[in-house]
Amino acid sequence: MLPRIPPSLILFALLLAGWEGYCRLSGASPMILPPPSGVARALLAERATIGGHALATLSVAALGFTLSVVFAFIASVALHGLPWAERALMPLFVASQTVPLVALAPLMILWFGFGLLPKVLLVVLVTFLPMLLSLLSGYRQTPADFRDLLVSMGARRWTVFRRATLPSARAPFLAGLRISATYAIVATIFAEYAGARRGLGIYILAAKNNFRADLVLAAVVVSAALTLALLAILQLADRLTARGPQERPDA
Amino acid sequence: MLEVRGLTIAARGRNLVRDLSFALPDRGITALIGPSGCGKTSVLRWLAGILGNGQGGLRARGRLLLDGAPAAAPHPALSYQPQGDALFPWLTIAQNAALGLTVAGLPRGKAMARAAALFAPFGLAGCETLFPAQVSGGMRQRAAFLRTIVQDSRFALLDEPFSALDAVTRLAMQDWLLARLRDRPRGVLLVTHDLHEATGLADRILVMAAGPGRIVADIPVPIPRDRRTEAAMAPLRQSLKSLLLKELPR
Repeated sequence: MLPRIPPSLILFALLLAGWEGYCRLSGASPMILPPPSGVARALLAERATIGGHALATLSVAALGFTLSVVFAFIASVALHGLPWAERALMPLFVASQTVPLVALAPLMILWFGFGLLPKVLLVVLVTFLPMLLSLLSGYRQTPADFRDLLVSMGARRWTVFRRATLPSARAPFLAGLRISATYAIVATIFAEYAGARRGLGIYILAAKNNFRADLVLAAVVVSAALTLALLAILQLADRLTARGPQERPDA
Repeated sequence: MLEVRGLTIAARGRNLVRDLSFALPDRGITALIGPSGCGKTSVLRWLAGILGNGQGGLRARGRLLLDGAPAAAPHPALSYQPQGDALFPWLTIAQNAALGLTVAGLPRGKAMARAAALFAPFGLAGCETLFPAQVSGGMRQRAAFLRTIVQDSRFALLDEPFSALDAVTRLAMQDWLLARLRDRPRGVLLVTHDLHEATGLADRILVMAAGPGRIVADIPVPIPRDRRTEAAMAPLRQSLKSLLLKELPR
């Protein structure tokens, strides 16, 4: 029997082959459109440099993402307990998401300098809301029966929250976590693009200014790999902490 | 003895239940039947201390007496079983069964041990470590009953406990419940709209009418369970049916 190959992998390979073929046949300048093989060569040649920058990006993204999870959780508990606060703050949170990153990233650099803080803040700002919303919507999905049952057993508010509300929010929260994770690396690169000492964003900027399209693309490949790695870690955490045979709708 | 005195439940200025009083003995099953909308579930929810949960705007006035002394719901002497099994999907059957005990403050190990002792008599041996999604509907309902019974409260409040089961499983489960209650007797208040269920299970039937909800008949069922054949129960069912039909708004 043939080994089963995921269709997405086949499609990806076909796209790469098409791209490679087009570059060879049309004679496009590698300065403008480098073939995949050229990108791979550039990645290999520059792997130490790109690796260093990727590490800087990853640490900022991971720190921002972690802080964001903590903030979102605390905020969700507070807003769940205080419905009037949710009504008051939610429009503000949603409005914060409409601020374009392009405008915000340079401002953050302007206000907080070239250090860690502005980048982490930007990551938090971008990833906070999807997680908060998924947590709150998860809390609301708690079956009324579960709450009734616990209250009739004499449970107080906190017990109801811990034993029914929080576990009910698990699946929606993981979905929100996956959405936020895909934003985390991109937001970090954006922040670095606006100004940084190290990181994939500043590397891409430098490569672009030197007309090295192959290096730009190599950095893009690395950033995509970072995001996929982050998603894989989340998937693993999901598997490891799963309780019972729950259906897992993909987000 | 559990007594409800002068219970009035109002929703947005309209009385859903008015001046309802009844007593529940320490033994035997009392069925509370009535047309939908008569407030029978609200009465049960009030007894369970969850009337204000969820459905906003319901206000209740009335007294709850336990052996003559005023009591406040939710009360440990009363355990409530919602419609459907309400098993938590993220807990094993054993953990679900022990839920009431752990919420009441019993240490986890002790609670699990007490629940585990009931698994064999409840026909759930071997299901302890399974999750609710891995067992059948009938098994889930058994686990829900186990969770109610293991709390060792003096009274059990059951809200249409068989409504989620198919007809055959329902009949089997009714006999099964009677057997479980014979081993661990207590006062049961069973809310149902199924006349077969009420006449088959109850020692006494309270009939409610709607608009506003009130008790219109208190009918003892003295026939022993082993002689409750279809034919023997037909006259009682017929009189209940006409009673309910008479009270329907035209």
